[in-house]
Amino acid sequence: MTSPVRFVSDTRSDLRQMARGWRWGRRSLVPRSAEPYVLPAKQTVFPSDWSRKRPAIVAREVAQKAGLEPLFRSQVRTRVEGLDILDRIEGPVIFAANHASHLDTPLILLSLPDEWRRRTAVAAAADYFFDTWWRAVGSSLIFNTFPIDRRGGSMATTPGEVLADGWSLVIFPEGTRSKDGWMGSFRMGAAFLAHEHGVPVVPVAHRGTFAAMPRGQGWPSPGRRQLTIRFGEPLSPLEGESVRDFAPRIRAAVASLLDEDRSTWWEARRRAAAGATPDPSGPKVAQWRRVWEQSESPDQDQLPGRVRAWSRR
Amino acid sequence: MMLALEMFRSLPRTVAGKAVGARMPGILSGFAAPLRLVTLDAPVVDRPGWARLKSRLSGICGSDLGALSGQTSLYFSAVVSLPFVPGHEVVAELLEDCDDLAAGTRVVLDPVLTCAARGVEPCESCVAGHTNRCSRITVGHLSPGLQTGFCRDTGGGWGQQLTAHRSQMHVVPEGWSDDQALLLEPLSCAVHTALRAGVKPNGRVLVSGAGSVGLFATLALRQLTPAGEIVVVAKHGHQRELALEFGATEVVLPDEVLRRVRRTTGAFQLKPEFSAPYLLGGVDVAVDAVGSKQSLETALNATRAGGRVVLSGMPAAADLSAAWFRELEVVGTYASSQQETLPSGEGGRGAFDLAMELAELEPVVQLSKTVASYPLHRWREALDHAHAAGRLGTVKVAFDPRSSQ
Amino acid sequence: MSRPGFVLEVDDRTPPMVVHEGLGFRLENFPLGTRVVYPPESLPAVPDVDEAIQHALLNPHDSEPLPALLRAGMRLTIAFDDLSIPLPTMRAPDIRGRIIEAVLTMAADAGVDDVKLIAANALHRRMTPAELKHIVGERVFRSFYPQGDLYNFDAEDRDELAHLGTTDKGEDIEISKRAAESDLLVYVNVNLVAMDGGHKSVGIGLASYRSLRHHHNAKTMVHSRSFMDHKHSEMHHSAWRMGRVIKDTVRVFQIETTLNNDVFPQPYGFLQKREWEWSVKDQASMLAVRRGLSIAPPRLKHKMFHDLRSVYGLTGVNAGEVEAVHQKTLEKVHAQHSVEVSGQSDVLVMGVPYLGPYNVNSSMNPILAACMGLGYYFNSYRGQPVVRKGGAVILYHPLNEGFNQLHHPSYVDFYEEVLAESTNPAVVGEKFEQQFAQDPWYIHLYRTSHAYHGVHPFYMWYWIAHALDHVGDVIWVGGDRRAAGRMGFRAASTLQDAMEMASGAVGTSPSITYLHNPPHLLADVR
Repeated sequence: MTSPVRFVSDTRSDLRQMARGWRWGRRSLVPRSAEPYVLPAKQTVFPSDWSRKRPAIVAREVAQKAGLEPLFRSQVRTRVEGLDILDRIEGPVIFAANHASHLDTPLILLSLPDEWRRRTAVAAAADYFFDTWWRAVGSSLIFNTFPIDRRGGSMATTPGEVLADGWSLVIFPEGTRSKDGWMGSFRMGAAFLAHEHGVPVVPVAHRGTFAAMPRGQGWPSPGRRQLTIRFGEPLSPLEGESVRDFAPRIRAAVASLLDEDRSTWWEARRRAAAGATPDPSGPKVAQWRRVWEQSESPDQDQLPGRVRAWSRR
Repeated sequence: MMLALEMFRSLPRTVAGKAVGARMPGILSGFAAPLRLVTLDAPVVDRPGWARLKSRLSGICGSDLGALSGQTSLYFSAVVSLPFVPGHEVVAELLEDCDDLAAGTRVVLDPVLTCAARGVEPCESCVAGHTNRCSRITVGHLSPGLQTGFCRDTGGGWGQQLTAHRSQMHVVPEGWSDDQALLLEPLSCAVHTALRAGVKPNGRVLVSGAGSVGLFATLALRQLTPAGEIVVVAKHGHQRELALEFGATEVVLPDEVLRRVRRTTGAFQLKPEFSAPYLLGGVDVAVDAVGSKQSLETALNATRAGGRVVLSGMPAAADLSAAWFRELEVVGTYASSQQETLPSGEGGRGAFDLAMELAELEPVVQLSKTVASYPLHRWREALDHAHAAGRLGTVKVAFDPRSSQ
Repeated sequence: MSRPGFVLEVDDRTPPMVVHEGLGFRLENFPLGTRVVYPPESLPAVPDVDEAIQHALLNPHDSEPLPALLRAGMRLTIAFDDLSIPLPTMRAPDIRGRIIEAVLTMAADAGVDDVKLIAANALHRRMTPAELKHIVGERVFRSFYPQGDLYNFDAEDRDELAHLGTTDKGEDIEISKRAAESDLLVYVNVNLVAMDGGHKSVGIGLASYRSLRHHHNAKTMVHSRSFMDHKHSEMHHSAWRMGRVIKDTVRVFQIETTLNNDVFPQPYGFLQKREWEWSVKDQASMLAVRRGLSIAPPRLKHKMFHDLRSVYGLTGVNAGEVEAVHQKTLEKVHAQHSVEVSGQSDVLVMGVPYLGPYNVNSSMNPILAACMGLGYYFNSYRGQPVVRKGGAVILYHPLNEGFNQLHHPSYVDFYEEVLAESTNPAVVGEKFEQQFAQDPWYIHLYRTSHAYHGVHPFYMWYWIAHALDHVGDVIWVGGDRRAAGRMGFRAASTLQDAMEMASGAVGTSPSITYLHNPPHLLADVR
C-alpha cells in the first residue's frame, strides 16, 4: 500500500508526463516514422447535438442574457432595422448575412427577437470552431454553433437535420470573414439548403463590424462603435429556379440592403430597379482606400430626422 | 575489595525483562537487567583444594543473557543461589598455590560444581566421571548452584576475583592467548554435544543456529564424528562463511532450511493446518543450537523417523508431537563430561582434553581474535553487544575484569 | 483492416511508451532514436468459426477427411494443448472445445465407442477440473470427465507410457501409451506463437522426461536460434526426428488453429493501441488503471490481471498431416506476428508482463520472469537476435511476486540451492538435473497435486541459455536487487540507471530497440 502523500505525488507526476507526452490542449502528433502507418484522418469534429438539447438551451439563455448581451452592449452601439418582416413569417428560415468580423454572430443573434434567437443556430467552420473540444463546447454553448465543412465534406450533423428540427440557421455565404470589410463572393450553401428544404432565406446586411473589430483583433475597438443591421424581405426559390440562379439573388438582396442602410429605402429601391446598386465588393481602387473606407463606422447621425420609432435601439 | 557484576533478586526487573527483553534488548541492558556493578569483599578460601583466582577474561554466554532477561525457565531457580556473580566461561590465574598448581598459573574452569568441589561423597555420576550429571549440586558446603557463575559462594568470572576447586581447573597451555583459552569451555560443551549426537558414519546432521554454540558444535561434529553432510542454519552473512570454515557442507537461511533438507534427503513435506510444515524423512541428527521454540521445532520437523534431536541450547517450550509420532530420540547435552566416549568406542578422555585439540585448529584461532572484550563498568554496552552479536558479526563477547578499576 | 507491424523511431513527437512490468506497466520516455517494434494489428477473424472447423475437418491437407478415418470399434484418442496457451486465457468458448465438439460429433456419427481425451501437459502441472472444463467446454467435460475418460497426461505413470524406440540420433521416444496404441490420434492445438505446433504437439506434449531430456537441455537450447523458427532450432529438429518415428507408429490427425492479436479486452483496450493514437478515453483509462494499481493490494492486482480473458479471433484452422498443416499454420502466425527489423542493436529493451506460459492462475516468480524475458521474448526473432552479440538486455519486472508453493515447489529449491551455486545452465544441468528429476516428492506432487515437475525449473533455465550465451549484460529495471543478483543479473531503478550500468558493454550512446510486446510479435531481423 502506498501512502496518500505518495499517491498524490505519483498521480501528479503521471499527469505531468501524460500532459507532455500527449500534448494535452494541443494537437496530437504522430511520430515521423509512424506517419506511413497512420490511417487516413477521420473527421475529428466534436458532436454538437447536445447543444440543441434543453439543458444547453437553458444554459445558453443565461449565458447570452446575463453575459454576452451586457458585454456586447457595453462595447458597441447597435441599430436594428427591418425586424418587422419576422412578424410576417414562420420559422425556420435561413439568415444569410455578409461576414466581416467575429462581432457579426453576436450582432445578428442579439438583434433577433428572443423567441427567434432561442431557435436559431449558427453554422460555423468545422475546421476552426470544432477542432478542439474547448472551442467546440464554448462556441456551441454561447452561440449555438454547429459544424459545417467549408471544403464540402460530410459532417456528423448536417444543416438539413438542424433545419428539419425546426431551427433557423445563420449562414455566412461568403464562407469566411472579409479581409477588408467589403463583401466577397457568395457560395452556394445557403441557396442549396433553401432549395433543398424549402425554407425561405432572409437576407441580412450589417455594417460597422469591420470598423469595430476587424480580422486579427481580439476585442472591439474602444469607444462604443456604431453597428447597423438590417433584415430584408424573405426570398424563396421561384418555380424552376436553380440553385445556381438563386444564389446571386441572395447576394443582390444583401447588396441592396447594404445600399439601403447607407442611404434610404427609396433610393436603394430605385438604384436596384435601375441595376445601379453599388457593388458590395467595393470599388477597384488601392487596397488601402478600400480598408480606409470600411474602417469608418456608420455615423449614427448620418441620417438626420430618421424616425426613431421604427427602429429598435 | 573487588569490583564485580552481581545478579540480584528483583521481581519488577525480572518481570519486565521477561515481558519485553526478547523484543527490546535495549530495555534489558538498560533498566530491566537485574544486574549491578558492586564492590564486594574479596573472597576468602578456607578449605583444601580451593584457591582464589584473578579473572582475566570471562565470556557472556547465551544462558547468561537468558537468565538476565528472565527467559530462563523457573526450573532453574532451585539450582542457583541469588545474589551471585555470573560468568561461567572463565580464564583466570591462580592468586595462590593450589595443590600441584603454583600461583600465577593460567587456568580455565570447568564450571560445574560437583561432589568433589562441594566436599561430599561422590554421587554415582561423579564416580563414573559424568560430572555434568552430578546430583549433589545443591548440597555440601556451598550454596546451591549448578555452576560457578550461578552460586553465591564461589563468585564468577564477571568479578575481579573468584574461588574455584582444583577439580575444576584445566591449565592453559603455554603460548595460548586468553581469548583462545576463553573458547575452551564452550568448545568442551560442543565436544560433549557432538559425542552425544551419536552420529553414524556418513550420517546427515542439521545444526540449527550458527552462534558460538552452533559453530563449535559443527566443528566438533566434523572433527570427532563420522558425520557426512552437515547443514547449518545461519541467519547472518558472516555466519555463513564461518560455518563453512568450521566444517559445514551447506549453510542455509532459517526459512530455507526445511525445503533444503527435504531436497537433499528426498523427503516428503507436509503442511499441517495453522502450523509449520514438517518432513516425513529428513536428517539423521538435528542439533538445536539456539534454544528458541522455532529452532527446536525446525530440528524436530526436519529429522527422520527414529532420528535424534540434540538439545544444545537451553530449550524453549515446543510442540513435541514429532518426537512422539516419529519416535525421535530427544537428547539433552549439558556442559561437559570428564569421561567422554568417542564414536570409535574409545573412552576415558575428558571433554576439555578433547577441546584442547580443537582449540588449536586454525578456524578457532582466527575466531579467538574476534572476541570483543569490555571492562566491567561498561556492562550495559557489553550486554547490548552480546544480544546483537550475530547481527554485528561477533561470535563471542567477554568481560575483561582486569581493565576495570 | 489491420495495419502491418513496423519499427518506430522515437522522436520528439513520440508520446511515452507503455512498458509492461509484471502486475502493472509504466510509461517510459525512451531516448531519441530508440527503435520501437510494433506487432501487426489483429488480422481479421474468420466470419464463421464452426463453418471453418467443418471445412478444415472435411478438407484436410495430405489426409483423408476425418469422417473417413473414423469407424466403429476403433480406439480414438483426442489430445489437446494445456492451459499454457493461449496467453492470456481465451474467453469461453475456447477454440479447442469447439473443435473437439466437432470431432466428437463425427465420431459419434461413425459409432466410435472407445474415446479418450488427454491434456498434453507433458511435465506441466495437472490442470484443475475447472481449467479442463474451460478448455474442452461444459458438454465434453460432462460426458467424459466423471468416468475418467478426460484426464491430464501423467508423464510419471510408468504403466501408461510406451517406448517407441529411438531416432537415428539415439534419442528415446517415450509417449503416452494410450496415444501410441490408438488407431487414430487427433491433436487439437492452439498455435499462439511460431514455436508451438507441428511435431512439438505430440512429440513433446505427450512425452515423458526420458524423451524430453534429449532436447530440453542447455546444449540443444543454445543452438536453437531461435526456437520460434523450427528450421533453425535444434530443439525442433529433435522433435521433428521424433515426430517422424511417432508417425510410423500411430496415425496422427493434427488440427492446428491460429489466433489474432486481440489480447487485451476493455477496459485495457489501450494496451492494444499505438500510443500516439490513444484517444482521450484511452488516456483516461490508462491513468485510471495505473492509479488504481498503485493503491491496490497485491492480491487484488493479481486478480485484476489474472481474471482477464482475451477475446481472440480465430484466423485459421487447418487439419491433416502434421507437417503439411504446420506449414499452413506458420504462414498465418507469421502474418500476424512478423515485423521486419533491419539490423541488430546494442541494447534490447523488453517489458516482462504479468503472465507467461507457466504461471496461469499462479505467480510470476523470478525464474519464470527471467524465462519470459530472456527465453520467450529474447527468442522471438527470426534470422538473428535483435541485440548484437555481447550487447545488453534491459528487462522490466519487479521480481517480487515470490513463489507459488502449490504450483512451483521445485522452483523454490532451484532458486535457493541451485542458483546459489551456479547460474550457468550447463553447469546446473550437469550437477542437479537428475536429482530434481528423480526427487520422489516432486514426482508425487506432480502426479497428485498441481505442481510442475521437479525438473521444470531447469527447463526454464535452459530456455534462457541462448540469451545468456549471446548477451553481455542483463539488467532489470525496477527489479528486486536480491532476486536479480541470485540469478546472476543486476537491477536498476530507472532506464537511465540501467543504460549507465550497461555503458561498460555498449558505450554511452548505444543503439536501442524496444520490443513492444505484448501483443505478440516476432522480429524478423535482416
